[in-house]
Amino acid sequence: AEVEETLKRIQAHKGVIATIVMNAEGIPIRTTLDNSSTVQYAGLLHQLTMRARSTVRDIDPHNDLTFLRIRSKKHEIMIAPDKDYLLIVIQNPCE
Amino acid sequence: MLGPRKAQTRPAPRRRGRVHGGAKGAPVSPGRRGPLCFSDKGGAGAAAALTAGEEPQAVQGAGGPRRRGGRPSPAGRGEGPGHGEAAAARCGASGAGSLLRRRPRGTARPARRARPIAGAVLGSQSPRGVLGRVAAVTEPRAAAAAGPVQRPGPGARGDRRLRHRGQGTPGLPPLSRTGHRRHVFQAFILEQAAPHLCPSCSRLRKPPRRLRKCITSGSIALNPSSPLHHSGQLRGQWAVACLASRVRRGSQASFSSQRRVSSSGSISTRRAAGSRSPSTASTGKAAAEGWAGGNQDAVRVFDDEGKDVTPHPLFHSDPNRAAPRQGELWSLSARFAARETGFVAPFPTQQTPGVKASWSSFPRTNGSSSTSVSNTSTAEAALDDPLGPGSRQDTTVGVSGKEHELDVQVKRGEIKEELTREDLDRRVDLYLTETETLWLFYMPVAVVSVESEEAGRVLEQNRIYVDICRNRAGNDRIADKMMQTINEATKNKEVQCDKIIMEDKGTVVTSWDLYDSFSASEIEPATKAEGSRAPPGKSSTSHPTEEHNQTRSLSSDRGSPSRRTISGSPVLARMPEEEECHSAAILTSENFQQHLFCMERILMENIFQPKLAAYRQFPILTDPDVTPDTSGTVGLVTEVKQEEHDKKKKDKAEQKEAFIDPSILSDLNKTPEETVPPRLEWLWSYKCDLTAGHRVSSMTWSKVNPDLLAVGYSAFDFKAQKEGLACCWSLKNPKWPERVFRCEHGVTALDFSAASPNLLAVGMYNGAVTIYNVASCNTAALLDSSQSSNKHTGPVWQLRWVEHNRGITGDGKKERLICISADGRITEWLIQKRLDCTDLIQIKRTESKKIKLPGGEKRKSEALISQQAAGMCFDFHPKNTNIYLAGTEEGHIHKCSCSCTEQFLETYRGHKGLVYKVAWNPFSTDMFLSCSADWSIMLWHQNSQTPVLTFSSTTAFVEDIMWFPKSAFTFAAVNESRAELWDLSVSISSPVISCSAKPHVKFTAVLFAMNTNCLLVGDSRGGVSVFELQNLAAPNSNEADILYDIMGVAVAP
Repeated sequence: AEVEETLKRIQAHKGVIATIVMNAEGIPIRTTLDNSSTVQYAGLLHQLTMRARSTVRDIDPHNDLTFLRIRSKKHEIMIAPDKDYLLIVIQNPCE
Repeated sequence: MLGPRKAQTRPAPRRRGRVHGGAKGAPVSPGRRGPLCFSDKGGAGAAAALTAGEEPQAVQGAGGPRRRGGRPSPAGRGEGPGHGEAAAARCGASGAGSLLRRRPRGTARPARRARPIAGAVLGSQSPRGVLGRVAAVTEPRAAAAAGPVQRPGPGARGDRRLRHRGQGTPGLPPLSRTGHRRHVFQAFILEQAAPHLCPSCSRLRKPPRRLRKCITSGSIALNPSSPLHHSGQLRGQWAVACLASRVRRGSQASFSSQRRVSSSGSISTRRAAGSRSPSTASTGKAAAEGWAGGNQDAVRVFDDEGKDVTPHPLFHSDPNRAAPRQGELWSLSARFAARETGFVAPFPTQQTPGVKASWSSFPRTNGSSSTSVSNTSTAEAALDDPLGPGSRQDTTVGVSGKEHELDVQVKRGEIKEELTREDLDRRVDLYLTETETLWLFYMPVAVVSVESEEAGRVLEQNRIYVDICRNRAGNDRIADKMMQTINEATKNKEVQCDKIIMEDKGTVVTSWDLYDSFSASEIEPATKAEGSRAPPGKSSTSHPTEEHNQTRSLSSDRGSPSRRTISGSPVLARMPEEEECHSAAILTSENFQQHLFCMERILMENIFQPKLAAYRQFPILTDPDVTPDTSGTVGLVTEVKQEEHDKKKKDKAEQKEAFIDPSILSDLNKTPEETVPPRLEWLWSYKCDLTAGHRVSSMTWSKVNPDLLAVGYSAFDFKAQKEGLACCWSLKNPKWPERVFRCEHGVTALDFSAASPNLLAVGMYNGAVTIYNVASCNTAALLDSSQSSNKHTGPVWQLRWVEHNRGITGDGKKERLICISADGRITEWLIQKRLDCTDLIQIKRTESKKIKLPGGEKRKSEALISQQAAGMCFDFHPKNTNIYLAGTEEGHIHKCSCSCTEQFLETYRGHKGLVYKVAWNPFSTDMFLSCSADWSIMLWHQNSQTPVLTFSSTTAFVEDIMWFPKSAFTFAAVNESRAELWDLSVSISSPVISCSAKPHVKFTAVLFAMNTNCLLVGDSRGGVSVFELQNLAAPNSNEADILYDIMGVAVAP
């Protein structure tokens, strides 16, 4: 319940374009985007996150990736990776 | 077994003579030899059987003499002509005179060279049975040819052969193929016959297949498993089988051999002697046989399977053959021939007399009387010697003659071809019948009793053999020779099986993969150990717990992600639901919450970044990529600014009007005028859906974390009480509180502890005091005053943790929770197992006193009646924590001491209404400020019973005041309509900044930020607005003095 509220809140925040939750396999569990975009985001970001985590862990196996922010001209993509899922929020900070 | 083996493996030909000479050669000993001899019976019998019906002549001519017993040995010579007839089967007709013609062309050398082999081969006649038979079969023609008429087939063939070889006449078609084969065979045989064959090697374990067939089809039993199959003897036998069966020039060979015998008498003699057999005779016979066999070319022999097993000639004369070899070969052949004891060969008596003589000189007895035979042969050889040249001549003549004769024959055959072909077309029935078993080799057991007669001899033999073996290394007689054996036939077999599916799998292992797996393997044992430790405890526990454990373990069987949630959720997911459950698990996991929390903060940071920077008084950086769309805010701000400006102007106008001390004021006013006027800039509001509709009753900062704000919410209207809230806001998320404590009643006051920064004390409208732990997410109250017997009965209007530096009891620093309540008491709460309180002062009494005091003597009765005057606020002296002020409902402010619980130290009367707040000036500690519902703010000096200054800007309740923590002149006040910032150094008549609230919104609380120039204003709609104070005058160093001056000025008049 609290999670739902939080998700709603996040989605309601200014500039938030999309919220995607996907499991460890990169399969979207929850999304506020349309299907195709979700699939695209999920596939690409999952790979990217895995790569990023791999990078972090390769440098130091004790370390781990906790957050990934991608700032672009249009958007900021924020990824909270976990062992079991990925939380992705796409925000347009200009709004 | 040793003895015999030795004997067998001896290098045959050369040794032979010696052995014989020594009379020790086991192989030639009669006893041995006996079994080795081919029993001629079979062959002869077969021949007889075959020929019996068809070929009387053959029987007479060839077969007849063959018979062992029945042959008159000495008569050989005499029978010469008869034999000649028989032998004439092939070359026999040699009588023809054209021999001479042949001669010059005749390849004497080749012939001679070939002879030894042929002789050898012939001598060993093992397959003679077959040959004999075949010969017998073909005999009729031979017989027929005995006269002038020759059999066309054999003769022609043989002749062709000869021609082909000797003259290079184009080969006749039918033979060209087999001819080649013959070559091969010949080579093979020669190889075999080499005298220096290593006898112990396994060069030739089996005769060529064809040969074998030949043998077997001829019903000659060859024991294939014979241990001596590789012995020279047997080999010789095979060789004989081959050659005898198909050498066309057998006669020639025989001739040459014969001639040899005659010419080199000594050798042949020796040989003959050694073998003790009528070598020449047998040779001759074999030759005849061979010759007869040669006829087979016309007749083909088929075995049961219909394969052609017709023997082929093995031998070709090879002109290039090395001469030295001849002797060896010859000797070998001699030996082979010698082997052939007891075999009576028909003599090819068709040869020249000389030859005949030499041949016939041998006795045709069975080989049994070896000595005699050898003697005879010796004698014969000796006899022949003188005749050497002649005989040789004769022989050659004979040969050539024969060849010529063959030629003639061929011609004749050609002439007669048509006729004979017809004959050939005729069906010829061949009956191959099995003959008696023919023993080719027999070796008796070689174990001899020590006591037997032979013992000595055998021992001697063994010794010799040992010697030989010992001397083997340097012995000339023993030579090592490499020999290639026939390859085992390979066999291809196809097997079908299921298709083997190949699969490639690859994986990439990163260093952290390795690390994880290693750490996992390290962790696992530990958990296992724990698990093993657990059972005892489990067993001791009651049943239900075990079940619980089981369910837990069951849930833990699932993937780690689901495990977490399942253990949390009471419902166990079923398999089909796993997917959903999985996602649900993710969505409900703590990690997810945490991440959402972070995510939200990050979003907030993105959104509020400029404002947060402003709050922190950092320079605001704008993202070049982002076009800040802050027009709304800017607009608002500008609006506010303009308002401020307007108000300021108004204030200034008022200021001028309300003339108090123009000189000072003008002095003070100069500074702000020179600079940009200070203003409040709205940054954000701590507001959320939860708090909407509530009234902000109090705000406080965390003592440790200056970014953490606790806000108490109560019902907007005190008359319609509803649930209250206590929220902790973090600067990082202005849109949602970090902690939400829901209270049954409206929150009227709250404060953070300084000693235990995680403790938040909350006072409520019903008088309850609750302490929450904000460090934990658990929103349940840590402590509650509900069990306290002394709990407040009225709303707790103010509540504060106070550090007592100079405790009365001298315990040093001690933090106390002080509350003031509408029930007229100021209480100190003790944080123990349960919350309890002691009264700092009897509010009721003070009330009564207070009534007495103001009333004096006049209203005693009234004082008795009205005991409910409530305390509204209090403030402890910043330096002397024993002293505190208490504001009351009726507008009086009492100065009290903790050590005096009975009476007030001082009472300040000035307010006409509720005293909402009293506040000591943090710098000038003699001064304090009070605000009241009578729309006024009063500045007091503690030594003065009357207010030093009274500030009144609006006609609204002044809900809250607070001194600016950085300046002694500045304080903020909120009334219902607006928030004001007063700077006494600027103006004592009007606020420097004022900010009006939106319509229908009343400001209820004010708070300065601890570490920045920000002002927080709570309103009646549940929002806490954050304003940035811009362009505030820098605080002076001697503010306190200035304040005194101001006050002095104010007071003086």
